[in-house]
Amino acid sequence: MKNCLGIINLSESDSNLGVLTQKRPTAMLPFAGRYRVIDFILSNMVNSGITGIGVFTGNKVRSVMDHLGSGQSWDLDRKINGLFLFTPTYDYNAINQKVGDLDLFYQNNTFLKYSKQDYILFAKSYMLANIDYNTAFKEFVESGADISMIYKKVRDRKNAYLGCDKIHFDGQGHFESVGTNLGMEDEFNLSMEMYFMKKSVYFEMLYDAIEKGSANYLKQAIFNNLDKYKVSTYEFKGNVFCINNVRNYFYANMDILKPDVANDLFYNNGHILTKVKDEPSTHYKENARIKNSFIANGCQIDGFVENSIIFRGVKIEKGCIIRNSIIMQKADIENNVHLNYVILDKRTKVNKGVTLIGDPSSPYIGGKKSLITREGEQ
Amino acid sequence: MKEGKMIAMLLAGGQGSRLKLLTSDVAKPAVPFGGKYKIIDFPLSNCSNSNIFDVGILTQYKPYLLNSHIGIGSAWDLDRPSGGVRILPPYTNEEGGRWYKGTANAIFENMSFIDELDPTYVLILSGDHIYKMDYSVMLDFHIKKNADVTISVIEVPWEETSRFGILKIDDEDLIKEFLEKPKNADSNLASMGIYIFNWKSLRQYLLDDELDSKSENDFGRNIIPNMTDDGKKMFAYKFQGYWKDVGTIKSYWEANMDLLSDDNTLDLYDRSWKIFTKNRHLPPHYISPEATVTKCLLNEGCFIEGAIENSVLFSEIKIGKKSKVINSVLLSGVIVEEGAEINNAVIMENVVIKAGTIIGSKDCDEIYLVSSTNIVES
Repeated sequence: MKNCLGIINLSESDSNLGVLTQKRPTAMLPFAGRYRVIDFILSNMVNSGITGIGVFTGNKVRSVMDHLGSGQSWDLDRKINGLFLFTPTYDYNAINQKVGDLDLFYQNNTFLKYSKQDYILFAKSYMLANIDYNTAFKEFVESGADISMIYKKVRDRKNAYLGCDKIHFDGQGHFESVGTNLGMEDEFNLSMEMYFMKKSVYFEMLYDAIEKGSANYLKQAIFNNLDKYKVSTYEFKGNVFCINNVRNYFYANMDILKPDVANDLFYNNGHILTKVKDEPSTHYKENARIKNSFIANGCQIDGFVENSIIFRGVKIEKGCIIRNSIIMQKADIENNVHLNYVILDKRTKVNKGVTLIGDPSSPYIGGKKSLITREGEQ
Repeated sequence: MKEGKMIAMLLAGGQGSRLKLLTSDVAKPAVPFGGKYKIIDFPLSNCSNSNIFDVGILTQYKPYLLNSHIGIGSAWDLDRPSGGVRILPPYTNEEGGRWYKGTANAIFENMSFIDELDPTYVLILSGDHIYKMDYSVMLDFHIKKNADVTISVIEVPWEETSRFGILKIDDEDLIKEFLEKPKNADSNLASMGIYIFNWKSLRQYLLDDELDSKSENDFGRNIIPNMTDDGKKMFAYKFQGYWKDVGTIKSYWEANMDLLSDDNTLDLYDRSWKIFTKNRHLPPHYISPEATVTKCLLNEGCFIEGAIENSVLFSEIKIGKKSKVINSVLLSGVIVEEGAEINNAVIMENVVIKAGTIIGSKDCDEIYLVSSTNIVES
């Protein structure tokens, strides 16, 4: 896949993730005990052999820079290709700032223009999966198509994919159109918003859209031109999680507790790479009782934990009962705390004796670095 | 030359034959310890945490795994544009090839390497010991005392003095006498095998020692006694804290078990003095609904369905249903099948314990070392 450049655009809608995305983009949400959402798409690209990856960071830059750094953890600190970061820039010549990612791509046009690859893989981070792009890329190149879309056939009884793009095929199974999922059908083809494109086609679309003012978003430009170009599709068969609201985020984490899902997500097409923290072993002490939980390194646990995801470096003291919860990095939970359906963000401290009960459809969220006491002050 | 510069020379060529099968494929410094480390991670992390970034590692016995573990030293922040970690194996020259004859000879053979770095002080370390120590504090002591040599010492139990090199000192910490493994010692200060030398003076002693055909070319047996005889200013630096030389299977097992007690002094959770190691990018561990886990260390990639108690588990270990693991150390990749029972054992890497197998019993004192081909009693 040397001839394909990866582009990850982190300007994703995060308005339904509440306080969890106050200071970070969706891509930087902690996930599954030791990862960030972006680790999956990055690792997918790297494990598939893509060596040049451009990341458009979006506005919440600090968290992105902190996590990605030089790209070393993903083997992307390279002389040839490697990781390229593009932050938003302010254009003093423009009369008004434009919305949409096309303008952002255009501002950084030199990167794509002078890259040696002939193909581009565009992706976002919020469609979380472990996918090997090699077959999809090979089929796309051999088909001679201009654009290829990756989709997954989903059964969606819980309306987890509301508002996502769905792909329609005609009677012969040929690509017909893309629309928005309003939840009218239980089964449909979910677009994973991963597009392979010939670089020449990308530039045609980009310049056309900007000159005519016909599109602000890449997706919009693609959809406008679907009848003009040859479009192929590729069906992905593994698990896909759409991280676009708190409920989906919560259930995606809980699904990791199913061993077959965990196996698919963590081992199927290579390991998921993330920033190394050098945490020691997790220490289970005398009173620890653990049931059905996914627990990262560096924790010290002396309480009861069930159906939960525990991130790196969490402390859980004696007498605690933690159920159906997501406890992020370095949270510190004192004696006799009861949690059920709770998401605790990084470095949260819960004083002894606190009880927090959320609801499966709307878990209680403890904000980053908050102190939760019995008086209820945060 | 940077005034006062200190470099470290780490002796990592030892076999550690009393560890039997544990060192049948690797040198003792590469023996796994504490759930995720190798023994050499301790001195290497100490160097990095003490701001020593020039580290020469002397290898000889079965160096392959050790070499691949160390790589270019990036795990310890020792991949430096100037200096950093250097692996120094025996080499050939015009006079033919030679093995390192002893600890002092190993340094002698790499004299040109040290001359190139041109340090004021040389720190001699052993890759066999488990401890956390700030070498820069020891250097401050060395400079303050205006010493020629400083030897780091630790108080050992009186009944064990015959296992160590014992030092007698005066009120000013000046070393009066050095006794190698004495029968009836009147001091219990043991040498930890950590020395700081003034390079100019050590250099001369190494040259002289090489000419002495009767010498064993060993720091403890030759260089230090020669310096004592010459009345060099030698001081003892008293170290307080956890220090362990794991010489036998039993002490290896005990050192791992030490980590399970709440009052263990080797605090691996101290974030200001992290122990670094090569990272393997594995997902968190999973504990199933039927598992029980008490007083244990667990690591990434483990999948636990049985009962584990008072044990240290490395990474990627599978514990089947209805199986029991008690008072044991399981190295990476071990699979314990359904209904198997393991007591007081050290199980080597990737060993499969077949369903229904019973190893050891809870009440016996013996420690069993289990490889894929045989079981050794300690």
